Amino acid sequence: MGVRVSVAVTTVATTRPRVLGALLLVLPVLGLLVFFVHPLLTVLWRSLTDTEGTFTLTNYVRLFDDPGLPHAALRSLAIGLATTLCTVSLGLGLAMALHRSHLPGKFLIRGALILPMLAPSLVLGLGLVCLLGRNGLVHRLTGLPTDIYGFWGLLLANTLYGLPQVVIIVSAALARTPARHYDAAESMGASPWRQFIDVTVPRLRFALLAAAFLVFTETLTDFGSAVVVGGSYRVLAMEIYSEVVGQLDFAMGATLGVVLLAPALLSVWLGRLARRRQDSGDASPGRTLVPAKHAGRDIALGALSVVTLVPLVAVVATVAYVSVVKLWPYDRTLTFANYTGGMPDGYGPVGTSLGMALLAACAGVILVFALTAGLRRAPAFIAKPIQFLASLPAAVPGMVLGLGYVLAFNHGALSGWLYGSVAIVAACSLFHYHAQAFLTMQTGMRQVPEALDDAVAVSGGSTRHVIRDAVLPFAAPAAVSTFFYLFMRSLVTLSGVIFLVTPDLGLASVTVMRLDENGFLAQAAAYAMCVVLAGALALGAMRLLLHVLKDRRHVA
Amino acid sequence: MHLRIDDIGKAWGGQTVLDGVSFDATENEFVCLLGPSGCGKTTLLRIVAGLTAPDAGRVILGGRDITALPARERRMGLVFQAYSLFPDMTAAANVGYPMRLRRDAPAKIAARCSELLERVGLGGMGNRFPDELSGGQQQRVALARALATEPAMLLLDEPLSALDPAIRGQLRSEIRLLQRGLGIPTIMVTHDQEEALAMADTIVCMNHGRIEQTGSPRDLYERPRSRFVAEFVGRANLLSTGFVRDAMPGFLERRPPGDEATYELCLRPEDIVIASDPRGEATVEDVVFLGNLARVTLGWRGRRLLAELPGRSTLNRGESVSVDALRGAWVCA
Repeated sequence: MGVRVSVAVTTVATTRPRVLGALLLVLPVLGLLVFFVHPLLTVLWRSLTDTEGTFTLTNYVRLFDDPGLPHAALRSLAIGLATTLCTVSLGLGLAMALHRSHLPGKFLIRGALILPMLAPSLVLGLGLVCLLGRNGLVHRLTGLPTDIYGFWGLLLANTLYGLPQVVIIVSAALARTPARHYDAAESMGASPWRQFIDVTVPRLRFALLAAAFLVFTETLTDFGSAVVVGGSYRVLAMEIYSEVVGQLDFAMGATLGVVLLAPALLSVWLGRLARRRQDSGDASPGRTLVPAKHAGRDIALGALSVVTLVPLVAVVATVAYVSVVKLWPYDRTLTFANYTGGMPDGYGPVGTSLGMALLAACAGVILVFALTAGLRRAPAFIAKPIQFLASLPAAVPGMVLGLGYVLAFNHGALSGWLYGSVAIVAACSLFHYHAQAFLTMQTGMRQVPEALDDAVAVSGGSTRHVIRDAVLPFAAPAAVSTFFYLFMRSLVTLSGVIFLVTPDLGLASVTVMRLDENGFLAQAAAYAMCVVLAGALALGAMRLLLHVLKDRRHVA
Repeated sequence: MHLRIDDIGKAWGGQTVLDGVSFDATENEFVCLLGPSGCGKTTLLRIVAGLTAPDAGRVILGGRDITALPARERRMGLVFQAYSLFPDMTAAANVGYPMRLRRDAPAKIAARCSELLERVGLGGMGNRFPDELSGGQQQRVALARALATEPAMLLLDEPLSALDPAIRGQLRSEIRLLQRGLGIPTIMVTHDQEEALAMADTIVCMNHGRIEQTGSPRDLYERPRSRFVAEFVGRANLLSTGFVRDAMPGFLERRPPGDEATYELCLRPEDIVIASDPRGEATVEDVVFLGNLARVTLGWRGRRLLAELPGRSTLNRGESVSVDALRGAWVCA
């Protein structure tokens, strides 16, 4: 071949949609920078400076002056590890019962597992206290000396709260394991136990790891259960709360926040590594397994499900019961009085919570949709860092983010219209749960066939048409899921927003906490039930909408 | 309309995908881009469609340089391998889509849709959704949609690969008929040499981002220029010059001058003549019965030779036969 003259061409043609795609990214990325990175950096900066703003490590040295803090750290670690162990093993059992057993009534298992997702984490603690506390139902009925406060109560509350998430992650991995592996093992004469060890477990390793990291991070940083059943077993999240709310020591709060951030970041990073390994797995799931009857296995898994889920249902049922009792625990006549009176602000906070959740969900679904749509065709050097940024919130405890909001937005350019507004609380919830919303939406985006993009382009359509005609039909179910995920999480969140409520701006979950703190257990329960009900309604609406969407859209 | 692909080059992340590719497609011509997966043929088609920008070279349509023109302004009809119909639109809505983007009058769109659906053999099925159509029917809808705006060219990206063999054959001739009837220049990407031989006026055979040979199906089959083309298009026995000198010296006359290793002789299996002969040098190693022909593997002078005999062969394994060849072509090794 002779000398070839390369003719440089203008690449306007095919880069123009890319520019529009990049425009889609601007607003969501700006949001992440202003409402996520900025507050976090503020926390970090605050922990590293003194009141004059000069660099110092004094705050970190002070950590060791207070003997309570290292203890709290050890307790957090202990409760985190114990909860992770319990939740993952029980969650594995429940997922096996759902996917690898021939049990009747699996819908009962699924139904029970929805309960913890409908309520703020402290509702489970509330239920435990009412059931097994010193003056709880069990003590009242049997006279046994029950005392749930402390390590065991916290372990129980956190385990029940984490279960659904573990079951969801492990179930997804179980559903992905194609039947042909079991057929192959069966044909070679492997017993059911060997099939579990040789086929099931290897494919669950990474899911179990991911679930473990998730539970560990959540437990380490959870505030809701700790405040209700922790008692004298004070964990780090409680320490931050008292430093900030009790002693108004923001610098110390920030320093503790950074300490809390480190293990959470580490576990999320490990979880990401695990997920990457898992992605290289089976591309074509093929036929899924229909488990055959196997008495021993079914009885064992059935027993496990009952043992795990009865306490869960009992705890929530107790809250429901307490909410209709006249004067808990002394006068247990049934009444609806708790729902109609006795609350200082009435149902205002529930309304505020609903409005806030709606705002967070609307803004969130738009931002995350734009972000994932913009990332679809973005070159790797842009996509990689943005993806990392978008999933980073999973590593940040809500409390640390909330503290960052207080430090960042209480004064400064944006404080005028943000401080004390519903918008700031909504932003905090939204970016606290940003990672999972982003992941859900991105999975939906991956369903859009690339050929469809091209079909729009050659038909004469622009990026706007690509989004309307190619992306939306496929991504709509994911958008609905994302919307309701954000809505339900924002409705029940506590740890992120605890620092952001003002006397004029009450939220339902915070009100439940305050009522509980002041000993109004029945009112707290009634309030909690309102939140559960709102969550249940939202969930029902989502199911219905997804069903309709699937029916109408002809998208598998 | 005349299409000229002029010295196109493209690299993805440092990996050269297309290197100095040029060819012409004239009015009404059906061109097949043929090659193994990864040879750059789909990238080339996407460059013609305007979906990918080339790093170098020009695309000229009807004398106009359209290299920088975005896909949506090129008026190309494109059919993909699969999954390119809008799942929430009926067949008719899919076909009418490009016309709606152009804001044609609804009555005109409706008329054109039913005409096109009729044309691809789906008359009366306009109300069905893609998931209610078979794979073959979906590709017909995609074809009708590609033709909706009277495109300057039709581009087909392995449109038959995802279909059952029986439907594939049927759709093959239907596409060809439709294309001839409309007189629209067409480029089809395929990795199936049989499909290319059956459909193309001109085959552009590609390998590793370069064109190996351009020519009519018959050209490529009878006079392959390289070992790659000889082996990729049809089946071939490739014999070294030394082997030919000993075994079939008659073919040496037409060998182009050059080193011992530069050329090999390509013998097509059907050009090999076998006769039952107890003193023959070759032995029948295997006979595969294929109905209308038999594929015979021979052991001959220390190597294997593939031959195809028309009709029903009476040869048996282990039988001695004599070997001759009707014709052969010298190819670059």
